[in-house]
Amino acid sequence: MTDPLAIFPLGLTFEAFTDIDFWTSVGIFAGIYTIFALGLQLNVGFTGIQNFGQAGFMAIGAYSMAILTAEEGMNFWLSLPISILITIAFGLIVGLPSLRLRADYFAIATIAFAEAIRLIALNARDLTNGAQGIFGFDDSWDSISESIEDFIIDLGWTDVPGLFPLFLVTWGIAVLMMFSLTRVQGTPWGRVLRAVREDEDAARALGKNAFSYKLQSLAIAASIGAVAGWLLAIQLAFVVPDEFQPIVTFIGYVVLVLGGLANYWGVAVGAIILWTVLEGLRFLELPISETKIAALRFIIVGLVLIGLMAFRPQGVFGKREEMVLGD
Amino acid sequence: MTEAPIFEAEGIEKSFGGIRAVNGATMDVKRGSITALIGPNGAGKTTFFNLITGFYRPDRGRARFDGREVQGRPPYVIARFGMVRTFQITKALAAMPVIDNMMLAAPDQPGESLRNVLFRPLAWRKREQEVHEQAIELLDVFNLTRLADHYAGTLSGGQRKLLELARALMAQPRFLLLDEPMAGINPTLGRRLLDHMQRLRAEDGVTFLFIEHDMEVVMNHSDRVIVMAEGRVIAEGEPQAVRSDRAVIDAYLGGAGHGGIE
Ligand SMILES: Nc1ncnc2c1ncn2[C@@H]1O[C@H](COP(=O)(O)OP(=O)(O)OP(=O)(O)O)[C@@H](O)[C@H]1O
Ligand SMILES: [Mg+2]
Repeated sequence: MTDPLAIFPLGLTFEAFTDIDFWTSVGIFAGIYTIFALGLQLNVGFTGIQNFGQAGFMAIGAYSMAILTAEEGMNFWLSLPISILITIAFGLIVGLPSLRLRADYFAIATIAFAEAIRLIALNARDLTNGAQGIFGFDDSWDSISESIEDFIIDLGWTDVPGLFPLFLVTWGIAVLMMFSLTRVQGTPWGRVLRAVREDEDAARALGKNAFSYKLQSLAIAASIGAVAGWLLAIQLAFVVPDEFQPIVTFIGYVVLVLGGLANYWGVAVGAIILWTVLEGLRFLELPISETKIAALRFIIVGLVLIGLMAFRPQGVFGKREEMVLGD
Repeated sequence: MTEAPIFEAEGIEKSFGGIRAVNGATMDVKRGSITALIGPNGAGKTTFFNLITGFYRPDRGRARFDGREVQGRPPYVIARFGMVRTFQITKALAAMPVIDNMMLAAPDQPGESLRNVLFRPLAWRKREQEVHEQAIELLDVFNLTRLADHYAGTLSGGQRKLLELARALMAQPRFLLLDEPMAGINPTLGRRLLDHMQRLRAEDGVTFLFIEHDMEVVMNHSDRVIVMAEGRVIAEGEPQAVRSDRAVIDAYLGGAGHGGIE
């Protein structure tokens, strides 16, 4: 017990700041959740539809990519666009009947849909291999990843973490998406979406097919969820039903609230804050058991959220006026 | 009287539970007229608007706008035909700036389709400029120019009413249905609005059907009056004739009892 930190009941170990492999992995999760929540931002922040099934779309993206590649022997790169089409098809199946109804029916329909997808993944063993999950879909990615790694080594960074290429690609996609979504939001198309969010009937009275815009918004969000699904699958190197629990969608909402509604860049800020707090707390040294520390991490995230609601309810990037004027 | 009416409704009916809110309403609106729709509170005027603009589905009856059936069509289709309505309870798009409220309403903006956004950026940008100019001109008419960049939700009740009207005009309607447009607006601006209606009728041939409780406005600014009571049309004609109609006086005095016709 010569460690000087041991005399403090609370402290951070030195490795918290040096473990680059660990932080690379955290960064990938933050990036995946950024992408995941960009879809939610489009739906919730800009269209006013409460999509609670984003984890389901993520699951469909991940599973269709993995099944097509590992089980059907399809080319990895071909499986990506096809998995997007499959996810969009599911988005339409959920949205067509429920988006015409009152807003709360849609919210319920999406939760039910996402859980149905997870349970099917768990039980349709012939297709999904049940709880064992699917492996061996990422050979193509691995070779890409190695090329990127070699390139970085050539640049002079010799001990680059193995996951670093995925980190780069994930954030590259995230930034590209934030940029494009922000651009599209500023067009007349984006203006109609916001009008639908504000008052669907007013939009309809002005000749806008509100239903069609909500459906488009959902289809795009679903595709974005599918991309998050691929990245998650690659990060883990397997796809299992457990990764697509409803909690994933709720964490996506935490990211939204942290970053602020109706701002795409805020999503990244929210995701980075959440994952830094959540994972940084792993290094907390407390005289209590591991499981208690695990629970404590979520309690602290909860406290951060409560504090935010009290002092900056619009989130880091959200506009206060827009929130107050919402109704 | 040889020209076909721009709008005809026949036997429109709608019940909510036990209440028959509209009970066989039949009316014509003359092309190029400024027609007032009056009647006691609860007569079914607003409900009638909702029925003919696709917001409610009639239990029975037909409505035609400019030769086209409108009943059973969704609101956005009817609006695109050129039959545009405003709401009694204003629907400002609160968390959007006034100017965006206005520009939203413009028809034929190719940039409202995602495909054009991606592949025809020049076309929609050009249209956007035109629309912006029109919006500023119209805001000027209603004294709202200096509020162009404010969130619509920060406007006063009267200003919202004006914004909603200006926004409806942005949609370039041929037939405009206004639900109590003057309510809550100061008399000077109200007169300006009425003048603007006259001008639009004269210059662009726009037809108006407006619900109004202020009899002075109705008498001085409409050329025809349609009176509803208990879900039916009970009288119609020139303002002066309607004013002395026995059935109308009875409806106002005997009905909900909200003042007389004077
Ligand atoms: N959505 C609805 N559900 C149930 N009842 C309704 C509904 N809409 C209207 N009503 C009823 O229909 C009747 C007519 O209402 P409406 O709003 O059309 O009257 P109005 O002529 O516009 O009155 P006002 O001059 O006060 O605006 C009222 O009795 C009202 O309570
Ligand atoms: Mg009314």
